[in-house]
Parts: sequence; C-alpha cells; structure tokens
Amino acid sequence: MQAEKFSYDNTTVRNFAYATFIWGFVGMLVGLIVALQFFIPELNFIEQATFGRLRPLHTNAVIFAFVGNGIFMGVYYSLQRLCKARMWNDTLSKIHFWGWQLIIVAAAITLPLGLTSGKEYAELEWPIDIAITLVWVVFGVNMFGTILTRRERHLYVAIWFYIATWITVALLHIVNSMELPVSLFKSYTVYAGVQDALVQWWYGHNAVAFFLTTPYLGLMYYFLPKAANRPVYSYRLSIIHFWALIFLYIWAGPHHLLYTALPDWAQSLGTVFSIMLIMPSWGGMINGLLTLRGAWDKVRDDVVLKFYVVAVTAYGMATFEGPLLSIKSVNAISHYTDWTIAHVHVGALGWNGFLTFGVLFWLIPQMFRTKLYSRKLANIHFWLGTLGILFYAIPMYWAGFTQSFMWKQFTPEGILKYPNFLETVTAIMPLYITRSFGGFLYLLGSCFGIYNLYKTIRQGSFLANEEAEAPALEKNYETHSSEHWHRWIERRPVQLLVFSLIVVAIGGVVEFLPTFLIQSNIPTISSVKPYTPLELEGRDLYVREGCYVCHSQMIRPFRSEVARYGDYSKAGEFVYDHPFQWGSKRTGPDLAREGGKYPDSWHYNHMDDPRTMSPGSIMPPYPYMLDNDLKTQSTAKKIRAMQTLGVPYPAGFDKIAVQDLEKQAKKIQANLKKDGIECSEKKEIIAMIAYLQRIGTDIKAEPVASSTKP
Amino acid sequence: MFSFIKKYAETIQGIEVYPKIAMFFFLVVFIGMVWFALRADKKYITELENLPLD
Repeated sequence: MQAEKFSYDNTTVRNFAYATFIWGFVGMLVGLIVALQFFIPELNFIEQATFGRLRPLHTNAVIFAFVGNGIFMGVYYSLQRLCKARMWNDTLSKIHFWGWQLIIVAAAITLPLGLTSGKEYAELEWPIDIAITLVWVVFGVNMFGTILTRRERHLYVAIWFYIATWITVALLHIVNSMELPVSLFKSYTVYAGVQDALVQWWYGHNAVAFFLTTPYLGLMYYFLPKAANRPVYSYRLSIIHFWALIFLYIWAGPHHLLYTALPDWAQSLGTVFSIMLIMPSWGGMINGLLTLRGAWDKVRDDVVLKFYVVAVTAYGMATFEGPLLSIKSVNAISHYTDWTIAHVHVGALGWNGFLTFGVLFWLIPQMFRTKLYSRKLANIHFWLGTLGILFYAIPMYWAGFTQSFMWKQFTPEGILKYPNFLETVTAIMPLYITRSFGGFLYLLGSCFGIYNLYKTIRQGSFLANEEAEAPALEKNYETHSSEHWHRWIERRPVQLLVFSLIVVAIGGVVEFLPTFLIQSNIPTISSVKPYTPLELEGRDLYVREGCYVCHSQMIRPFRSEVARYGDYSKAGEFVYDHPFQWGSKRTGPDLAREGGKYPDSWHYNHMDDPRTMSPGSIMPPYPYMLDNDLKTQSTAKKIRAMQTLGVPYPAGFDKIAVQDLEKQAKKIQANLKKDGIECSEKKEIIAMIAYLQRIGTDIKAEPVASSTKP
Repeated sequence: MFSFIKKYAETIQGIEVYPKIAMFFFLVVFIGMVWFALRADKKYITELENLPLD
C-alpha cells in the first residue's frame, strides 16, 4: 500500500490555544470582580457592571470562551492525528475559529448591556443563538469531513466522545433556545413555568455533561496517554465508560429542581439516574489515574502530568459530589447555598482549568518545536492554582452549611431563630472574602502560566503544517466472519452519531413528553391571571438586571421556608412565566411571595440604595432605574408575542396595553407621593415596583398592601 | 415499582411503559457493551489503545 503524503494543520490549533488562554484570563478576571462585589458593593458602580449582569458574563466566558476554545484546540489537534488526516477544510476551520470568537465578543458586549434571555448558561439573545447554531454546524461538518476522509480505520474512543458532544450540544442548544423574538435583542422563550424549568435544567445539566465533561474526557483519553507515553489503563473500560455515561447523563437534569413545583415523578427520575452516574464517572476517573500505573515517578518531574492528576482527581470529587447532591435530603441542605458554588468550582477550576493548562503546556512546546520555557514557573502556577482551588472551595462549603442551617434553625418557641435573612449573609462574609482570595491565587497562577506560554512561544519556531504520511484506507474492507457488532459501529462514524443521538434523545423524550402532554401535571389555578402590561415590563427589567442570579422565586415545602417566605410555590402559579425565574441561588432572600410585603415606597428607596433600607445589604444599587424612562414602544408587541405563546389576554388588548400601563403607573406614583416621594410615572422604577408587588399575590389569601391591585 | 410516576401520569394511556422501556433499553445497551468489552480479543484492544501513541 502506497503511503500518501499530507500535513496536519497546526495554525487553527494554535489560534484556538491563544483564544483559550486569553479568554480564560478574561473570564477568571470577571470572576474575581464578581467575587469582590460580595463584600465591596461599591464595585457595582455602573449599570453595566452590576453583579446581575457580570455574573452571567463570568459563567459564559469561562464555559463557552475558555473551555469552549479549549475543546476546539484539543479536538483539532487530536482528531487530525487520530484520523491520520488534515482537517477536512481549511476555510471551514477559519470560519469556525473566527465565528466562535465573534460570538464571544457579541456575548461580552450584550450581557453587560442587559440583553439577556434570563435562562442560566443560555442567556444570549436569539441572533447570537442562531450564530452559535451556524458555527456549531460548521464545526460538525469539518469534523465529520475529517472523520470520513480518515486514513485510520478505527475510531479511537476520544473521537466517540467528540461525536457525542457535537450531536448532544446541538440538540440541547436548539431545544432550549426556542424563543419568539420581539425585537432584535429581545425574545421570550416558548416554554412557560414548570416546562421552561424542566427544559432549562435538562439543558443546564447537560451543558455541564456535554460541554464541560464529555469533550474533556475525549481530551483526557488522548492527551493523558500522550503525556505519560503509555496507553490508557483499560480500553475496555473506556468503551463501557462512554456508553454508560452518555446514556445516563441526559436523564439527570431534574436533580436541579428537587423540592420545587416540578412533578414528583420527574424529580425521582432525575435522582435515580444521578446516583447511577457515579459508576461511569468513577470508571472514567479510575481509568485516567491508573493510566499512570508504574509511572508515578514521572509525576514528580513532569508538570504536565501534575496538572492532569489534579484535574482527574477533581473530576472524581465533583462526580462523587454530584450524585450526593442529587439525594433529596442532601439537596434540601445544599440547594440555593454556596455549596453548589463550591461544587461547580471544583469542576471548573480543577477539572476543566487544570486539564486545559496541562494540554497547553504539552501542546505549545510541540507545535513550536521547543521546550517549555520554565519548569519552575509552571510549578509555581501549579501550586498557586491548587491552593487557589482549596481556598475557593473550602470556605464555600463552610458558607453553604452555615447559611443553610441558619435558614432552617428554629427557637424552642417554634419561631425562626434568624428571621432576618441579612443575618445569614453577614455571618458568612469572612468566607466570601477568603473565597475571593482563592480566586485571586488561581488567577495569579494562570498569569504565571500565560507568561510561561508566551515565553515558550517566543523562543520556539512555529510549525504551521506538520508533514505526515499514511496509506489510504482500503476501499473494500474485509470483515472477519466472527466480528462483533460493536466493531462494526466503531468503523462507522455516521452510525455512531445516529446511535448517540437516539441514546440521548430517549432520555429527553421520556422526561418532556409527560410534562408537555398531561394537563394534570400542572394543575391550573383559576386565580392566576396574566401580568398587566406594566408588570410585564417590570418583569422584563427584572430579567434584564439578572435578579435571578441572587434571588429565587421558588418556596420549597419546608416548614422553615413557609415560615420565612409564605405559602410554598405551586406549579400552576407559573403558567404565564416566559421565562421562568425560579433561580438557583439565594444570595438574597426568595421573592416568590414578595408582592405586598412592603409598601411601594420601601421598594423605591431600596432599589435606589439597598443599604438605606437594609443596613449591611450587599445588593447592588439601581439608582438609574429612578432616572431612566420606561420604554413602551414595544409593549403592544410584547402583548401580542405573549398571546402567540398562549397567554390569554383578551383580543385587541395590545391596542390598549400602553393606556392600561399608564393607568397603573399613575396609581403607583400616587402611592409614592403619599409617602413623600415625588417621581414621574414614566420611570423604570414604577414598572419594577409593579412587578415586585405582583409576585406571588395571585394565590395569597390576604389582601395586598399595594393599592394598585384591582 | 413505578408508582411514583403513575400517581401523576395516569391520565396518559400506557405511560407506565415509558420508564420500563427506557430501563430495558439501558440494560440491553449496557450489558451488550460490557459483554463486548470483555469478549473483545486482546490484539484488537492493544491496536486500539495504541492509536494515540502512533
């Protein structure tokens, strides 16, 4: 068989590598800023830098910019070598690279501007969602083109992980991003309330699974053996790892909604599959760690292996903790607290961060035909990073437990021991400070890493096209008569793609269909009415400011929560919520029964400067809402959009919507005047007050304090 | 066994078969994988696991 000559494309890999560490730095820096905002509220100094807007920027930057570019860097390098073929099309590689960077820039501009869909980890608005879809398709075509023109018959397990990643992320992104545009940067999700929550966390959980985990497992299966210069511990285990993992992961989403208004059966399903997940996850972790069997002496000297060992260990810890957190009794303690934050950062800083830097420290010297500039600097980076993870995670575990137990504590007389939510925040302030120190250490370590990579790049000479040769595949492959069916699929990437899709689609279908089809799953409550136009505008402001990142709107059926917040939340209360705003973290108190708790003037002053009403509060101030005029140009359009989505406004209501809005605004203005506050009825704050006073009042027995209610 | 699902979903006909199908499908795939992985011949596995090191 004659060998064919070809070359590997290193340029695209290098570009993705640069993007990885540049965006990584940006994402971590924003992370540090939001961590500082917890105890220096003055850092919320302008509208665009308030916590509610920066936090989505941090999560999106780390997940989609840092890890996203890390995935593409690793895939573009390993796929070419494993397929013994150049990436299928250089132009597609370029479009993929620049397209993804443009999406990141668009996100970095729109999120601080408050242009958000209000769904966690899927905040980007519809034009960017479409761009993501297109670029993702370009990536898929390029990847499949490469696989189909490969010179190696068998698909190594890393490639299976890449294929499953591609198809599942496509499915998740498209299903979760179904939205009805109102304007260029405003849309409403087509799902409402409980359904939206289910779809969102099916997406959210599997974004962790198929964006932060499966592609990185693919990288682990390629780069770990490469760096250790020995094959993976057990290839047989990797086969089981792959199928079990992609099969189980997709079912586990509802564990984010335990004790919420989600139907019980869906919660239980999520729990069962989450607990089962520990087996494939630990199978993979053990497979990674044992690859170093007999080579542990190398770990002492090889800094790349050090990063891998901590990364895989962090993966093991996070995937042990995940199932633990899915047990309802544990979740009752952990949910809405900083425990979750600790959990995700063990994953993000340890698993993703350290694996990425391990790959970078191996890959950059390879492509620049040189050695790593300084082993010493890499070691400093390693230790700063490791300490950073500890200083981050331990205080957050502590804070999570402290706060949760304070929330639940009753006095012997049977009343809440800490009735003022603020007490439970100020109690953990030292832990927030320690956490930000951990974040600072990690960022500092990364700066050493980036400097080290920069110097390595400067001292080397880049090999843009790496020459290689391999024989082409025989056209007519003779199969062995006794061949097993799995060997058949290993040679057929398209079939592998289809089977992966079937496997992940089953989980989604079983979860969604009953919720979508069965009326009894979401009992309707006759007193629950659509929002008035002013309340709807106020709700959009609530979404714009990202209030959901700190405030939940979901009271769980616990004595402690009912005593603190009011009647627990019912599924039927959210049927007109596009999007749902249940939240996932309580840095501030739950708002599900906020309506009527305080007079309008309290909210006015509180939004202007939270510390005047609640000394010691860490909420950002929103003085600009007192100055900005509420834009009502698209109010009618919003009402029509809601009607399209099935919200029962009377026919023709869109035409009188603004009139109705002004009428309600005047009432609130009059209310404020009674308390000595002079304010135009046209300001944003009026809509915000209208919404806050509405939340959770539909099924409240008592009349509400705000007199604007009909 | 699946009473927790039935309680909420009994208004859809044949709903209880959903999780059973899913569990069955999972077990078939999983057992098939384990069976294959354990039976695969050593030479073939060695060839595959050395792919990254070529």
